[in-house]
Amino acid sequence: MKRVLTYVFSVALLFFLWEMASIAVNAINHASLLPGPFDALSQVIKNAAELQRNFMASAWRLILAMLIALATATPIGLVLGREAKLDRFFAPIIYITYPIPQVALILFLFVVFGTGSGTKVAMVAFVLFFQILVSARGAAKNIDDEHVTSVLSAGASRLQVYYHVVLPASLPEILTSVRVSIGLGIAFLYIAETHAALGTGLGVFINKHMLFSRDRAFAGIVAMAILGLILYIVIDIIERMLCRWRYVKRRP
Amino acid sequence: MIDLQAVTIEYGDGQQAVRAVDNITFKLEQGRSLALIGPSGCGKTSILFALAGLLHPYSGTITIGGDRITGPRRDVALILQNAGLLPWKTVWQNANLSLLLNGDYPERNALQVLTHLGLESVKSRFPSELSEGMKRRVGIARALSTAPSVLLMDEPLASLDTLTREKIQDLFLTLWHERGFSLVLVTHNIEEAAFLGQEIIVLSERPAQIKTIVDNPEMGQLDYRDSAAFQAIMTRLREALEG
Repeated sequence: MKRVLTYVFSVALLFFLWEMASIAVNAINHASLLPGPFDALSQVIKNAAELQRNFMASAWRLILAMLIALATATPIGLVLGREAKLDRFFAPIIYITYPIPQVALILFLFVVFGTGSGTKVAMVAFVLFFQILVSARGAAKNIDDEHVTSVLSAGASRLQVYYHVVLPASLPEILTSVRVSIGLGIAFLYIAETHAALGTGLGVFINKHMLFSRDRAFAGIVAMAILGLILYIVIDIIERMLCRWRYVKRRP
Repeated sequence: MIDLQAVTIEYGDGQQAVRAVDNITFKLEQGRSLALIGPSGCGKTSILFALAGLLHPYSGTITIGGDRITGPRRDVALILQNAGLLPWKTVWQNANLSLLLNGDYPERNALQVLTHLGLESVKSRFPSELSEGMKRRVGIARALSTAPSVLLMDEPLASLDTLTREKIQDLFLTLWHERGFSLVLVTHNIEEAAFLGQEIIVLSERPAQIKTIVDNPEMGQLDYRDSAAFQAIMTRLREALEG
């Protein structure tokens, strides 16, 4: 109950600040430039059907991209973190490619693969891949040697070391990077959807209305925020299920 | 019988190789206990890990029961400094780790040991919920779940308060009498070596070499700490370490 009240209070504070900003911006410019939260929310209700269609299109793209990134980057990151010889070979490749602004490749990808959903998903997955890869690799490098020695002395194979030690020990850090990836993923999805200009998705919806129907565009931004919030809550629930040991009452 | 013949252990290759253990030879009959004592970082843990099959000597041979050690064995158990418990596994999963990994140990072994050590009521808890003393007990339960013939211990009681340490030392002694395994203990604690070692090997600074071997025939009783013989052994060990 206390948690729900905290959420309600946070949202109320956010709406208050947003409303104040809206009043200030509109007063300074003598025009209705920044819609307030209630204008945006009323547009969410009025455009529910259209928003829902675009919301679902963006949601599945983002979720699919996150799953692809997670499924590919996690094993690669964990192996690189534990296998020094492989890491020595691949680390320079990661260091060179990680800082490249992947957004610069969007137009190239659209030219080569078209502007369909597949390209947008691939774009977001590509960005998140590096985020998760770097976290998984770092987490696997920092595993307490005693845990590895412990299972090796009990007769574990190499694969069992990964399953019983490397993966669970790295999981909290990987899930944190997934959380960070939600914001990054939404940002890149927006860019990919607006670059494509056509089709469905919240990015398309926002872009379409930003010039002449700003309160509708802000309804789309609210929908994107809701998408992020839902994913954050889902990741929290998954972490509580998979990392139960972190939520028990610790003995001082 | 545990048999080490001219064992030398090195880390690294070529010119960068660091010698941790230099030409160590000793034997231990089945069912007896041995303490390896020496200054911190002298290489005593390397000897223990070589016995556990976790690292291979640069030269020399190690056999247990006549078989050369080539890797971890199901009849050799190792207890690590901080019990080596996995924080993400429950007490039961930790105690039953060998079954989990190898699938060929009866579950009842771990259950019996947990019950014997008074841990049955906390078997679904995680290690972070336990006191340090209880964590060490879970480490012991894990080691004993495979009914080993050799129990190796690497500073198993480090960082425990005096009373808890003495209680667990008493527990080790009782279990050693009950179960008849060979016990090899690595420690830098003179009192621990004198209480648990029938034979005590005093090692030099790195690379570890045998300085002297002290016989401790009167050990084995819980009240041994109160005896004059215990004090005499402690004095001999202190002199050997300082000398």
